[in-house]
Amino acid sequence: MGAVGTLLNPSLLATTAIFIIIWGMLAIGLNMHWGETGLLNFAHAAFFAVGAYTSAILTTPPPEGGAILEATRTIGFDFPIVVGMVGAIVVTAVIGVAIGATSIRLEDDYLAIVTLAGAEIIRLIIINQGSLTAGTKPIKNIPRPLEGTFQEVLGLGLPYRVYYVGIAGIVLLGTLLIFRHLSNSPFGRVLNAIREDEEVPKALGRDTARYKLKSFGLGAGVAGLAGALFAHSQNAIIASQFTASLTFIIWAAVIIGGSGNYVGAVVGAGFILGLQALLRVVPSGIPVIGGNIAVLRPIIVGILLIVILYARPQGLLGNKQQTLAGMKEGS
Amino acid sequence: MSDNQQFDQNGASDSNGVILETKDVSKSFGGLVAVDNVSVKINEGEITGLIGPNGAGKSTLFNLLSGFLKVNQGQVLLNGQDVTDMRSDERARNGLIRTFQITRELSGMTVIENMMLGAKNNPGEDVLATLVKRDEVSQFEQEKRERAQELLKYLELWDLRDEYAGNLSGGQRKLLELGRSLMADPEVLLLDEPMAGVNPDLTDHILDRIMTLREEKGMSFLIVEHDIQAIMNISDTVIGMHQGKILVSDEPEVVQEDEELLKAYLGGGQV
Amino acid sequence: MALSLSTFLTFLWNGLVEGSLIALAGLGLTLLFGLLNFINIAYGEYMAWGAYFTLLSKVIGLPFVAAILVGVIGGGVVAIAADRIVFQNFSNRSPVVLLVVSIGVSFILRNLIRLLVPSQYTTALYGVELLHVPNIAGITILGNQVVVLMLSVLTLSGVFLLLNRTRIGIAMRAASDDTDLARIRGIDTDRLVIYVTALGGTVAGIAGIMLGLESQVTPSLGFTFLIPVFAAVILGGIGDPVGAVVAGLAIGIAQKVSLVIIPSEYTPAIALLVLIIGLLTRPDGVFGEATR
Repeated sequence: MGAVGTLLNPSLLATTAIFIIIWGMLAIGLNMHWGETGLLNFAHAAFFAVGAYTSAILTTPPPEGGAILEATRTIGFDFPIVVGMVGAIVVTAVIGVAIGATSIRLEDDYLAIVTLAGAEIIRLIIINQGSLTAGTKPIKNIPRPLEGTFQEVLGLGLPYRVYYVGIAGIVLLGTLLIFRHLSNSPFGRVLNAIREDEEVPKALGRDTARYKLKSFGLGAGVAGLAGALFAHSQNAIIASQFTASLTFIIWAAVIIGGSGNYVGAVVGAGFILGLQALLRVVPSGIPVIGGNIAVLRPIIVGILLIVILYARPQGLLGNKQQTLAGMKEGS
Repeated sequence: MSDNQQFDQNGASDSNGVILETKDVSKSFGGLVAVDNVSVKINEGEITGLIGPNGAGKSTLFNLLSGFLKVNQGQVLLNGQDVTDMRSDERARNGLIRTFQITRELSGMTVIENMMLGAKNNPGEDVLATLVKRDEVSQFEQEKRERAQELLKYLELWDLRDEYAGNLSGGQRKLLELGRSLMADPEVLLLDEPMAGVNPDLTDHILDRIMTLREEKGMSFLIVEHDIQAIMNISDTVIGMHQGKILVSDEPEVVQEDEELLKAYLGGGQV
Repeated sequence: MALSLSTFLTFLWNGLVEGSLIALAGLGLTLLFGLLNFINIAYGEYMAWGAYFTLLSKVIGLPFVAAILVGVIGGGVVAIAADRIVFQNFSNRSPVVLLVVSIGVSFILRNLIRLLVPSQYTTALYGVELLHVPNIAGITILGNQVVVLMLSVLTLSGVFLLLNRTRIGIAMRAASDDTDLARIRGIDTDRLVIYVTALGGTVAGIAGIMLGLESQVTPSLGFTFLIPVFAAVILGGIGDPVGAVVAGLAIGIAQKVSLVIIPSEYTPAIALLVLIIGLLTRPDGVFGEATR
């Protein structure tokens, strides 16, 4: 069948896999914020963008004269990709902590508003500081790690993209291992306590604001790394790729997958992307559905989110006992 | 009273044997005065009981002592040090631990995890340390787990150690809160109705433990309880409150005879 | 940049108009927020739906006033539908769960517009061709702006009358202040939820219509407007109607007047800056009357 054949194309599979990995990384970061610590972060897509742009700017020198489309950018460097990625993590973490610090001692809802505000400000800066970010135009010719080397060494005749899955996959695995370790550590325990009832760790001597900021920085850093992975998987990035809706879609992924669970977060991301891929395969001849895929996906995600929160609040992979127990109030 | 000199207490010499005190502390909510010019002293190495009818201001005083509420005027001193502007978590680090009248167990975490949270200065709470100093962290965790086991067995909660705290009964939650706060090795422990809802067989057991801690470790206690008899039995000093004011602060025998306090109770002190 | 008085006054006027819009939207949201206790991201969609109901009514030929009425009622209907179909089922859950649920509702409502409304209308501008208003003191005044301001003032007065002079309104404010106390005093808080939702949705619908009058009608009309509106609600103190209005006006004026020193691309940041400064200095709202 034609649709299946389309699906099994290695380049398309690789692209889907890369996206699952990148969105999975974003979900891991958000799970650190929300699942572990109960922090309301609505700037995640902005962190993603900051990471992507930082890595791109650090590794791509500004275009010489000729390239009309990118003419406005004047700032750029030619550092190795590793520097770009580390830079992305650091810059994003710092910005994340800066934003969080403004309201970390206030009630939880305020952090939500402040992160929304911070995200908007970041968006405005990206669009308007063309000398740094090329504004609304793309940054092109972003280098790809080990391009050419793979083909030479392994000689399998596969497109570069497939090898990138390997690189990104290793990064994802490493991130998962680190975060799972943190989750099961005493550090994770304090974060969970903050999530359950912040007054308790305070009454036991913990400076909860500092822990919240650390959590915030860690999650933001991961988002930055995801951004860098994204930038180097594409040849170019452009501001319109980073929408506010992405923040909410990652939220949906974390909740659908099971908050508090890093593997669940990745699965949630995969689930939503799988949904998107499925909808793409639907032939466009079907009335109503066919021409409206782009619009249907958020609607279905919205419905799924509501249904899962209602009927299975622990998400796909969450711990039912824990979620139910966590909803109980004190005596 | 001079017995406490033999215990190793920080700043004992600065504080004349008073570990926690307030000076003319007041707190109002809107038009309502909850705590009115209160000056109390909690002596080091003693058990101090705090009694009074409902609405007397006991829990508010607790909150002011522990830093969960800010005073409108007056001072709070811990170990002779002015902590009036110190946040609750800072006071806790300085040895002041409290429990809550309406228990605040961490429902989505297990009993043993709740207990482990009580342990202070856990090296594994530092992000880097938990990744690179694994041996040190495991050792600390192991030690504390053994301590938690001992406490949980004493509180008859050991069988429930892997149960989510949200699933415990009211009395069990009270005991968990007590155990958790003992894990923190407090210098002064503020207990807000620690016996409420607890099985009567256990209450004597708990009160014994409190007295033992007082003797062996020189721990100071401030206990709010409605079981007047129990308070009179174990306390060295009893403070009686009514409508935000201190009526009496003296040895139990004296307080028992205090007429004003009697009137307050009989007159129903409900605000 | 040399600034003439008339330019400055025009900025001030523009700020007043937009501020009245933010104030109105903020009023509806603060009432909802105060009573129901959660951040409702779908509020923006109530606004958008109000605008689209009006737009489509005009398209099918209804006279202007009737079209507006349809939009106003439409906003309330959508709000009630969202509450009865979705939010009501989560009434015993934490505010954060409700927030995430509202995200889902927002996705659905916004994209339903894209799905149901024929594409040529999805960015249509519907304007009111009015008499050209003569310049007063050199201020450039547009007919649309006058209509918007008048409607805002009218609606604001109406709502405040409702809140202060009617039994239902007073009950709403009491319940918004302290739900448990209100219940003890015998106020049927469940029915109140319907009334407040209807009121909030209606006000949102009006605000959406006026946004459409002042600029463009797009499906994400509400979503993008949400930030200054949230800023006004938080700054004014959650649950404080007067606070929301004052803060809304302040933000609107600040946004337009800021054009004197910063380029227009950064205008959206002003609302946020005002909010952050406000939060840091007066976390209980401008008047210290936040109900939570």
